[in-house]
Amino acid sequence: MEKVDVIVVGGGLAGLSAAYGLAQAGLEVMVLERGDYPGAKNVTGGRLYTSVVRDLYPELWEGAPFERAVTREAISMLADGRMATFEIAAEEFGGRRPQSFTVVRAKLDQYLAERTGEAGGMVIPKMKVDALLTEGGSEASGAGGGPGASGADGGPGASGRVIGIRAGEDEIGADVVVVAEGVLGLLSSEAGLRERPAAADTALGYKEVIELPASVIEDRWHLNPGEGAAQLFMGSVTKGMMGGAFLYTNRESISLGIVVGMEQLRSRPDELESWQLLDELKTSPAVAPLIKGGEVIEYSAHAVAEGGIAKVPRLLGDGYVMVGDAAGLSLNALITVRGMDFAIASGYHAAQAIAAAKAAGDTSAAGLAGYERALRESFVLKDLQTAAKVPALLENQRLFTHYPEAVTKLMADIFTIGPGPTEKLSKTGFGGVRRSFLNLATAKDALSFRKI
Amino acid sequence: MADILVYSDKPQVARELAFKGREFAAELGLGLSAAALGPESAAAAADLGGHGADRVFVSDDAALEGLPTDVVAEALAQIAQEAGAEYVLLGSTRRGKELAGRLAQKLGAGAVTDVNAMAVKDGALVGWRYALGGATVAEERIDTPVKLFAVMPKTFEVGAPQAGAGEVVTPALSLSPSRVTVGGRTPREGESVDLAAAPLILGVGRGFAKREDLDLGRELAAALGAELACTKSLADFEWLPEDRIVGLSGAKTKPDLYLSVGVSGQVQHTVGISQAKIIAAVNTDKEAPIFQLADYGIVGDLYQVVPALMEKLKSL
Amino acid sequence: MRIVVCVKTNYDLQMVRVKGREPVLEALPYKVGDLEKNALEAALQLREGGLECTIVALTVAEANAKVKETMKEALALAADEAVVVNDPALAATDQAALAAAIAKAIEHTGGADLVLFGEGSTDNYSGLVGSRVAELLGLPQIGYARSIAVADGAVTVERSMDDMIETLQAPLPAAVTVVSEINEPRVATLMNIMKAGKKPLTELSLADLGLDAGAAAPQKAVLSNLAEEQDRKHIIIEGDAATAAAGLVDALVKEGVLGR
Repeated sequence: MEKVDVIVVGGGLAGLSAAYGLAQAGLEVMVLERGDYPGAKNVTGGRLYTSVVRDLYPELWEGAPFERAVTREAISMLADGRMATFEIAAEEFGGRRPQSFTVVRAKLDQYLAERTGEAGGMVIPKMKVDALLTEGGSEASGAGGGPGASGADGGPGASGRVIGIRAGEDEIGADVVVVAEGVLGLLSSEAGLRERPAAADTALGYKEVIELPASVIEDRWHLNPGEGAAQLFMGSVTKGMMGGAFLYTNRESISLGIVVGMEQLRSRPDELESWQLLDELKTSPAVAPLIKGGEVIEYSAHAVAEGGIAKVPRLLGDGYVMVGDAAGLSLNALITVRGMDFAIASGYHAAQAIAAAKAAGDTSAAGLAGYERALRESFVLKDLQTAAKVPALLENQRLFTHYPEAVTKLMADIFTIGPGPTEKLSKTGFGGVRRSFLNLATAKDALSFRKI
Repeated sequence: MADILVYSDKPQVARELAFKGREFAAELGLGLSAAALGPESAAAAADLGGHGADRVFVSDDAALEGLPTDVVAEALAQIAQEAGAEYVLLGSTRRGKELAGRLAQKLGAGAVTDVNAMAVKDGALVGWRYALGGATVAEERIDTPVKLFAVMPKTFEVGAPQAGAGEVVTPALSLSPSRVTVGGRTPREGESVDLAAAPLILGVGRGFAKREDLDLGRELAAALGAELACTKSLADFEWLPEDRIVGLSGAKTKPDLYLSVGVSGQVQHTVGISQAKIIAAVNTDKEAPIFQLADYGIVGDLYQVVPALMEKLKSL
Repeated sequence: MRIVVCVKTNYDLQMVRVKGREPVLEALPYKVGDLEKNALEAALQLREGGLECTIVALTVAEANAKVKETMKEALALAADEAVVVNDPALAATDQAALAAAIAKAIEHTGGADLVLFGEGSTDNYSGLVGSRVAELLGLPQIGYARSIAVADGAVTVERSMDDMIETLQAPLPAAVTVVSEINEPRVATLMNIMKAGKKPLTELSLADLGLDAGAAAPQKAVLSNLAEEQDRKHIIIEGDAATAAAGLVDALVKEGVLGR
């Protein structure tokens, strides 16, 4: 079997960040990407918190194809035909070093792939990896496997050393395989490196990119040129299911998508699909004017990991490391949704650790252990740890039903002048607050929310 | 006086170019010359004169035997010079396109091939052709002193010949024999089919897994009373003859109904069907681009849908 | 002997999107043209048939920043080395200038005994460049090859014309363009893709070839370039095969295009 230093399975942000660092370190690295090109079918909503990754590969971000610096953040609650929006525009979000940018993955990923190529890495698109090869000739076939095949009995960590990959006719060996295959983890679970994500820990994302002229975007979201908005929607948009919708303004398009809990969606008797939820949002009176005149230029659907730190698998073993979504490194904290920054940081730390392991001549789990140490010391695992209780909270149905209903009702009441005499504002307000927010259930919620 | 010079080794294409060239020449205030080369040039000369050429340059120089591209290019370059040609119109056949490059290079001319429409605009001829693999239609103007257009066969209609042939000119050509020698020529076999004129067309593509499976397509075509057509790849496999190709490298059709079965709908194919009145498509992949172009679609396996179609057609 | 395969690096045309009627060409990935893959495969098969040769992939890029990446595809498929003429002046050029640059680049990089082309590029399909280059280099040329054999200082080609199959022979050096039926290009193996990155790639500007920017000026003006207007109904007929088939036939009868 012919051999290279490192094979990266998956050319998303995690895989490319790893490959870029490895190529820079002078290692022979091959990235195998299933899509037509890196970023081709990525469903990521489109916001990267650059604040946390700016110092990793600083030279990369100067020329990166970011869309807009996010200077406006909004959360909209929807219920019963009402939408209440809370919005903050803060100068500190923007300025010379904005904390986050909207991104279009097709552009950003290709940019990273090009930089990786320039650094000497080889990014190979349209290349589907069929299996990770493990020592002792055991191969976990993606095609022939299935539940109960290898891995399922032994559980994670049971396999031997990862020694390479198989793609069609080709078998290629590597000192280290970087598993960056994304959230579904098909290859790594077949190889026994992790368990398949459970439906309960997974949400389904569906996104459309809707083209609009820059000037229209800037008018509709009150933006200066180059500035962007991020808006989250929760409540009736998911029909009470865990999840929400997101909207990010790109340069000349908006990314509008919805994320719904896989298990809840599947268990509905009406066979509702996520795109139907998005269609309802798009035609709702509150949102329709925002996207009026726009043309849908692409759409995509994909799974989103929601399991939090409890579901992060073993991050490395003999001859392999797991990065990005494949390692469950994403965080839905309701208000902030993160994954791309974790992907980049994990790729970066993987590259550093692999380079060190190669230099020391030890690519076993012990040799690669620096990767996990670095992640623990970085924001990645720290922030995931901080948010450890969030996934359980998100199972609280009231977040997606009661609170949006209560908030929008209260707001509507405050602004309602009915046919009869109008109550004092204080009475309307306190009455609403007392009815909706001061009861046993909400008190329990308030206690649990303190854990966020 | 400057001229439009027309030439094709295909008599019918040469007539088309001469007949339309006459019209362009009148509009531009130019003369119309034609070239007739090779052993049968004398007969062709009278024909071209009747179709509008003021002058027909005739040569049956021995080097032109078999019409080798390099010698034809040299002959036409010399004739163009003698005729003072401002425009050269060729047929955009394979032979014509090969010739176009050589001749354009000899004349320092800009060239546009695969032209499917032409017009006089602002005192110059412009041509239209597909671009970007058929995704768009480009309108092109040539800015060199001599301008070369290679026009697809059947782009122009041919009117009735007029009495009074043009002047026959026998130029003194200086030609060397071709360096390319002919070992053999075999006419293509297969019945000829005119897809461009067919009112019903069944188009088949790579959704058919095996050559034998095309019988299913033939049966459906018979049941529909449709001509069978295919994508280029099926002809490349030699599953069907090349004259069944629809698209950029085949026929441009204008049927009432184009039913495509197992055709993904790459633009190189669909340029040949965009003029159809109704397009219907059967394909397993609901994302196949053919559905973007279809009036009616069935997302399904052709091996199930085609028999079902034939069953239903029996009831008509 | 030295076989130069002229390669056009194209937009991936399947990715071209039309907005209004305008093609949107930004951020499109590039690839080696399909017919050029046939030409590369043909060269490889000549070598595998026992012909001792160096295979050079040559491209003249229209100021394409990604061209070197794209050419790795040609190196992975067949070529031993690549020559890239890349010059901003080539951004809006046409076939005459491309041919001039190709001819100069061949002369500049060691000549060629056999120059192979696709019969046309997958985007424009003009079919002009092969014969323009042949004329510039004074080479005999045979277009539309569906098989190529090289022996005794000559190339023998069976070629596929509109109405006939011809067998032609030309002395080397010669230029040949190929049609897609000549072969089924193989898919590069991963290791060949990996090794492609290490094969020699020479990058040249027009100035390196003794050409000035004027040599890249187009001879033609594109007055407009728009998608054809299409107004289709886009009705998907649902149901199992029988139901859908019946529905389709009914619809077509109603349209008046069937059953008259």
